[in-house]
Amino acid sequence: MHAINKNVLYAMTLLVLACLLHNCTPVKPYQRAYLNDAAMRPGSTGIEKFDTNVHSIREGASGGGNGKTSGGCGCN
Amino acid sequence: MERPAEAAAVIDQKMKNRYLTLALLTSILHAHGQQDSIYHHKRISRTDIEVLFGFYTQSGDHSAITGGTGTEQLQVYSPEFTITHYRDSAHILTLNGGVDIITSASMDNIDFVVSSASRLSARTHGSAAYSWKLRRSNTRLAVQSGLSVESAYLSLPLGASIEHSNPSGSQEWKASLQCFFDDLRYGWISKEHFGPVGLIYPAELRDTNWFPNYKRNSYNFSFSFYQVINPRMQIAFFPEFVYQKGLLSTPYHRVYFNGSSERVEKLPVERWKLPLAIQLNVFAGSRTVIRSYYRFYHDELGITAHTLQLEVPVKIHPELSLSPLLRFYTQTAARWFAPYHQHDVKEAFYTSDYDLSRFDSYKAGLTLRYAPQRPMSPRYTFNALSLRYAWYKRSDGLAAHILTLLLELEHTRTHPLHEGFARRGINHSD
Repeated sequence: MHAINKNVLYAMTLLVLACLLHNCTPVKPYQRAYLNDAAMRPGSTGIEKFDTNVHSIREGASGGGNGKTSGGCGCN
Repeated sequence: MERPAEAAAVIDQKMKNRYLTLALLTSILHAHGQQDSIYHHKRISRTDIEVLFGFYTQSGDHSAITGGTGTEQLQVYSPEFTITHYRDSAHILTLNGGVDIITSASMDNIDFVVSSASRLSARTHGSAAYSWKLRRSNTRLAVQSGLSVESAYLSLPLGASIEHSNPSGSQEWKASLQCFFDDLRYGWISKEHFGPVGLIYPAELRDTNWFPNYKRNSYNFSFSFYQVINPRMQIAFFPEFVYQKGLLSTPYHRVYFNGSSERVEKLPVERWKLPLAIQLNVFAGSRTVIRSYYRFYHDELGITAHTLQLEVPVKIHPELSLSPLLRFYTQTAARWFAPYHQHDVKEAFYTSDYDLSRFDSYKAGLTLRYAPQRPMSPRYTFNALSLRYAWYKRSDGLAAHILTLLLELEHTRTHPLHEGFARRGINHSD
């Protein structure tokens, strides 16, 4: 049951992504006011860098657009 | 008396001379006017200066240095600076440097130096990156290197990346390869030694050479893809693959078995990691941004993790924003993990590091960002000041506070445009 729920969740996620990407609309330069806002920048923001470093040391998982994934320290 | 035909020819010649003189005068005046124009082609270079200060404090009772039991008291002070110099629209140089000053109670149990109430160690790191845009394309290449050194390791990173965006800027991808060549021997920064002397084991286990290898190589392949969905929404994907080989165990981590024996932590010599992340940023209304992030992670040690983060920057003033933050994280245990005194001596690999145990973690925080973008002098601009606090709690009892301060300044300078740049059409506003 648990496995089925997981598969349903993944399928729904993929479906939502497909819908989002399918509905991409062309954006003119003069329509980029919101997209150019600093808070809309994809990836991690400058002030998140220290938090990200802490997480990569204190947790087993790391990476995924959030700083370095491994190496460069005596940690995980 | 001149005949009418001859008179007409003379008049015609005179008119021609006048037109020629006028044309010559016009061209001279035009050329002179161009030279004396108040408009000059200039190249604008920009330098972004970021000063980051981080403070971290934690408490817990599962130190890996003492075999999964004992205090995890730790404080880290981390000043760091980053200078990004945009020479023009094509060439960018980034310099980064900093130091992590760490005071840890449990590190008393690993150092060669006689124990004190709290040992102090420092990690010093620096890196340089250079990127350039290919001519007549939206493709950018970059190379990166640096050095990171602490008393018990030295790391040499090398990296390269390529990124490309479509002409409208609505789609962008980036692929990068980062390699880390680490040396885990002790003595890189030490008052007693002037070079590496060997791996550092717990004091009572130094009669055995536990690991023949002291090197660890990591290869990180990362890819990112950004897509604008509409004027208020964009999505990003971050798939990565990491391969590590060498000494993956931490040589000063103890493991206590269910008998009375004690050994140094032992993990496999190879490990791969697979993080896959997705981020969706939405500008809702006129003041609120919703930044949502999800990451799936799986690795060779058997850890499967899920991360969910939601941050909502709200602009309470054109120059001031407030961003509450919530983060939830869960992971399964590494298959080689067992708590204090619960490992069996027959096991091939073993660790009592609670960072590799099964746990959930919660984080709540708030960021205050003041971004006046106000000129301080003709060349310097005060861009922003951000302050962030986060409270972090793990289900195994570890609790932490994280405080970060970020100052962002900008320096601009104009240069006379070199002929070559003008011909290539490179300028800062590209």
